[in-house]
Amino acid sequence: MSFLAGSASFVRFSIEGELPENPLDFISDRIKSFVFEDIDDNFEEYSIGWVSVLSMFDSAFDYGTHLYGDYVVLSLRVDERKVSPSILKKFTQKEEERIKKEKQVPKLSRTIKLEIKERIRTELTRKAMPVPAVYDLVWSLSESSLYFFSTNKKAHMLLEDFFKDCFGLLLMLQIPYTTAVQLLSDDDRQARLEQITPEIFV
Amino acid sequence: MDLVDLITEKRFIGQEFLTWLWWKSEERGGSVELEGQGDIVVVFEKHMLLEYGEADYNERLVCSGLQTELKEARTGLRTGKKLEQARLQIIKDEMEYNLTLGATSFEFRNVKLPKTEGADASADSADAEMEGAVLERIYLFEELVKIVNDLLLMFVEARTSETWSEELARIRTWVHKSADNV
Repeated sequence: MSFLAGSASFVRFSIEGELPENPLDFISDRIKSFVFEDIDDNFEEYSIGWVSVLSMFDSAFDYGTHLYGDYVVLSLRVDERKVSPSILKKFTQKEEERIKKEKQVPKLSRTIKLEIKERIRTELTRKAMPVPAVYDLVWSLSESSLYFFSTNKKAHMLLEDFFKDCFGLLLMLQIPYTTAVQLLSDDDRQARLEQITPEIFV
Repeated sequence: MDLVDLITEKRFIGQEFLTWLWWKSEERGGSVELEGQGDIVVVFEKHMLLEYGEADYNERLVCSGLQTELKEARTGLRTGKKLEQARLQIIKDEMEYNLTLGATSFEFRNVKLPKTEGADASADSADAEMEGAVLERIYLFEELVKIVNDLLLMFVEARTSETWSEELARIRTWVHKSADNV
């Protein structure tokens, strides 16, 4: 799935919005402000940010630039501590049993059960190792378009939100219809394309 | 219009494009002429996903196999299904691409780029060599998108032209013949 090696999967976005003067300086500054911060050694649940496309451990861009010719090439790294629902259920029930025995009561109230569940969830989340996901992207500055190397819809939403926060620019997924409208130079054709309805090929 | 609504309302354009492209590629035995650029090879292979209807009435048909003649897919066309996803081989100027193209979200999946001689080993430094490799990959992806966009433009120009009904009649003849030969 990676941009740099082997076979790759991607979708395209168009970029809407204007970059300020000195766009390259602006982009570099924004990337620096939104780099990935490691959460391996703390108890944070979630971290998202930019890393070098050459290494998911390089968020200082020590080993490579983000600028290649007219393109900004980056990876979006997302680390998340996750607890599977079955593990949460098991340890919650275990703790409920322990408290029932300790207090010598046959049942626990709903409020206490919720408190137990939330406490266990926090404890287990702290113990869980962060699961990393890395998505490459290539941003063409001259075309105002972006290749995103994942076809995962959830990853698309993460990128759209993060890109907007970071650069103040909007991403629009390019589907055949929107691509076709851009490709057709003739206004009449664009209007006709907007009007057409599904055709039966049989 | 909201993008989600637009995707739903206009998804037929991508599906019609892929179905049209299958016809276009078989019309001349796997060759398609791009205006002003000569012939390119477009071959439908291995894997295909067809769809019919929307939401609860949606039907899907998956066809795959290395040496398949895509018989089920051809029969599927005759029952009104259209292509939602197809594995394609595209060759232009001796550059061979393989990809699975998704119609609704215009996804390029499992793209295999043409083999090249690799990055310039004579580059002054490892950084320059890496920059060359990155720019080469970008160039190859962009070339592929350009070819697919040129094909899409051919389709929408035909689809919005006065002579579309004639082209549609030829597609319908192909759909019937194609299924009869199964």
